[in-house]
Order: sequence, then structure tokens, then C-alpha cells
Amino acid sequence: MVPVFIPLALFVFYPLFRTVYISFFEWNLVNPKREFIGFENYTEILRQPEFITMLLQSLYYMGLALIGNFLLPIGLALLTLQVSSREAEIYQTLLFIPAVIAVSIGTLIWLWFYLPAGGLFNAILGAWQLPRPAWLNDPSLALPAVALVANWKFLGFHYLIALAGLRAIPKEFLEAARVDGASGWNLIAFVVLPLFAPSAIFLLVSTLLQSLEQVFVPIEVLTVGGPAGATDNLMYSVYNEGFKFFRAGRAAALSVFLIAAFAALIYWQFRLLEKRVTYER
Amino acid sequence: MNARTTWAARVVLIMTTALMLLPLLYQVGLSFKSPTEFFGNPLSPFPLQPTLEHYQGVLNRLPMGLYLLNSLLFSGAVTLGQIGLAIPAAYAFSHQRFVGQHLLFALIVLSMMIPFVITYIPNYLTIASWNLLGTLPGMVLPFLGSGYSVFLLRQHFRAFPSSILEAAVVDGASPSQVLWRVLAPANLAAIVSLGIYLFIQSWNQLIWPMLIASSPKVYTLTVGVQRFAGGEGGNDWGAMMAASVLTNLPTIVLFLLVRKGLLATFTDGAVKG
Repeated sequence: MVPVFIPLALFVFYPLFRTVYISFFEWNLVNPKREFIGFENYTEILRQPEFITMLLQSLYYMGLALIGNFLLPIGLALLTLQVSSREAEIYQTLLFIPAVIAVSIGTLIWLWFYLPAGGLFNAILGAWQLPRPAWLNDPSLALPAVALVANWKFLGFHYLIALAGLRAIPKEFLEAARVDGASGWNLIAFVVLPLFAPSAIFLLVSTLLQSLEQVFVPIEVLTVGGPAGATDNLMYSVYNEGFKFFRAGRAAALSVFLIAAFAALIYWQFRLLEKRVTYER
Repeated sequence: MNARTTWAARVVLIMTTALMLLPLLYQVGLSFKSPTEFFGNPLSPFPLQPTLEHYQGVLNRLPMGLYLLNSLLFSGAVTLGQIGLAIPAAYAFSHQRFVGQHLLFALIVLSMMIPFVITYIPNYLTIASWNLLGTLPGMVLPFLGSGYSVFLLRQHFRAFPSSILEAAVVDGASPSQVLWRVLAPANLAAIVSLGIYLFIQSWNQLIWPMLIASSPKVYTLTVGVQRFAGGEGGNDWGAMMAASVLTNLPTIVLFLLVRKGLLATFTDGAVKG
């Protein structure tokens, strides 16, 4: 049991503390000299208007993940209950294929799709005589375009969990409800979904927690955070500050904000689950 | 359930599945399209006159064999190391009692929730201080401890009846014999599935290997293809897609071979969790 805690301590828990420590310094990651500046990295981040924009963009990513990787997979899973389990297996397998390929590799084809001149989307729009947007170069379109790639890549994963959650609902409940005359949307709205709620909360929070991580590589491949920071988010900026601009202290302070956001989300999940349990009693 | 609803559901599912696979269809199609067709006929994913020139080009220009070897070594080492460490821990957390058990298990769960990006800078410094930048061990080490693997295996181990393990102890088996002769073999399917899942995950890693791999000698496939796409191959879509197909092929084939066990192990972990 002990051995597993050695790498966990060295590469997961120790970095947590070291990050906090680094956040009090001004340091470029390579220079042996670093200057202690207290909370200056934090105050500097909070003073910048870009920080608020970045937070809002992080929420935007989360919102898009809720549509594409929470609501959509649950909808598809509900539909899947209507077909035989043999047939369902085919959809499960095929929808999971994008989830087993490398994000970076899967994103490359989208780079071509989004190409303003010579890309697939604008070739289609051009054939229909429609206006052709600049996609990744358009500050208002770039973020949803990047999010779409992540949602495509990870849909199969979330669909699988949604379907498993729905199937875990005891058959007796459904039969009892049918005997009582519930059917179609009534059955789904008043019997299936309430029983599915605990799995749904799990799926909801993991979708939120993973959303920024899942757009990480698509951002790196498609836009590197641009144009003019329009596709940046709290998680990507940690990496950008640290490894592109070599501002280790700033990156570490951003990490602390990120940890705080994650902790709040996880706390909220447990509160929700607790409420749910009391309600069931 | 009536036939109309079933058909409506089926149509939506088939259309969604088709849309989901379309990007991959284009990826494969483009890899076989000649440059003339690429510019002349961009809408269709199907090449009219398939050509192997992009594959030949990629194999000539990039050391794909070396990248493949690095990917295999990296993914293999992460998978074996992570599973080898997770099995005893999962045993301890599922069938043994010890002081601090709850606290340590809370740490396991906590480790699953820490966003990976915050560990990059500290881990980069650690690997640098051990002089392991630009080496495969430097890439592998941070991935050896995984809360997720411990958690998932514990979920499966827990379902195994304690009475059988206790009977083995009564018969004189030591804890390690109980684990490696009884519990682990009984959960072989779950262990293998987790292993394949971890292998695919590591195969697909980009950012950390890219930070560590300072020279092409240690590039994995994903890093090599990414450097190519971001550099000399940036406008050569045919070559980029051929390299993409070659990188994706092993994981897709592996997944299709074991899909049933893999999906089941995975969902069991999620639902029982």
C-alpha cells in the first residue's frame, strides 16, 4: 500500500505546496535568483481586467460543456433506452471511438475544417453562397469553435456514464410506474429522471471539473489562447504563463485561484449529494 | 415501447453517430487524397484516386519507427508501473484494516481532483533537478502514482467475498499470496481492462511528454506529429493526416478488440463509485 504514495507524494501533493510557495516569488523558472514579493502576484492578477475576462471565458467553456457533454449525452442515453441492448452496444462503441484517439491528433482535422480559405466549413458555406466567417481568427467565434472540438472528442465518454446511470435504475420502479399508467415523457420526467439524479449530479460536476482540462489541448493546437486571449481560460493560462512567458510566480498564483475554484465546485457537489440523501429519507 | 418511438430514437442515434465519426472519416480520406484532389474536391471525404504518397512521404521525412518505439516504451512503462503500484494499494483499501485507512483513502480521492496543470511547473523542476529532462524516465515518473487506478481497482476488489480470502489465510496463505494467487487472478478482467485504458491514455498524452522531450530522439508519436504539424508540415495536410492515421490506428484497433470488457469495467467503476 505504501509504494503508491511515494509517487503521489512526490508528483501530486508536494507540487501543491510548492506551487503555493512559488506564488510568493517573482521568478522566470530558469534563473537561480528569485525575488520574494509576498502577495504581489495575486494583487497584480486581480488588478488586471483580463483576469475577469478569463474567468468569464472559463464559465463560457463550462456552459458549453454542460450543453455538449451533459445535456446532449443524457438525451442520447434516454433515446438509447428505446432500442435493444444489442443495438445500443453498436452506438456505444462507435460514439466512443473519438474518445480513444489522442486529443491533439483528433484536433488536427478540425484545424483544417476551420481554415478560413480552403477549409471544409467555408467550402460548404461558399458552395451555398453564404458568408464565410474567419472561425478561429474571429474573437467571438473562436471560443465556441474550440469548445466544439473538445465536446466532440469527449462526448462518447459522458454518454457511456449517462447510459450506465440510467440502466442502474431498478427495473421494478419502472414497471410499477407503468402499471400505475405512466408512459412516455411522464415516465421519463417523473420517474426516470428523479431516480437518475444522483448519477446526474456526479456527471454534472465531473463535466464541470473536466471541461477546462478537456479544452486544454484543443486550445494548444488550434489557437494557443488567441486571438488576443479570446480562447484563454484559467487552466490554460497557468501553462501559458509558466511555460510560454516563463513567469513562474504568476503561474503559481493563478494555480492557487484554480485550486480554489475546484475546491468550491467539489464542496458544492458534496452539499448537493447530501441534500439528495436527506430528501430520500 | 412502441415501434414509432423506437424508430425515432434510432434515426437520431444513427445521425449523431454518423456526425461524430465524420471528422475521422475526413482524416482518413484526406490522407489518401492527392494534392490536386485536395484542392479541387474539398467537400467529399472520399478520394477518387487514392494515393499512398502521403504515407510514403511521412515515413521518409519523419522517424516514425523511433516515435512508435518511444510511444510504446512510455505507455508501457506508465501502464505497468501504475498498475503494479495500484494493485497492492487497492487490496489494502478493500480487504485490510489499518490505522489511518480513512485518511489515506481520502488522500487517494483528493489526488484525483487536483487539476493536472498545477503540477507541471513543480514537476518540471523536480525532473530537472534529477537531470532527467529529455529522457523517457522523466516522462514516466510523474504518472506512476494514480488515485484513479487505486480507486477503480478497489471498487472491483471490494465485490470479491472476504470469506474466501479469510479461508485462504486460515489455510496458511500470507497476505501477499492471498493478493497475487487469489484476489488479483479473480479480478484479472478488470485489471487487464484498466491496463488497456491506461495504455491508450498514455499513448494519447501530449503536453507533459512535449515539455520533457527536448530532442526528437525521445519524441513520442503525438509529440512528433504535433511538432511536424506546428513546423515544417504545417501546410501539408495530406502528410499531417497520414501521420495522424498512423498514430490513431493502434489505439482504435486495441479498443475495438477489447471494447466490451473495457466499457464494462469503466462504467462499473463509475456507477459503483
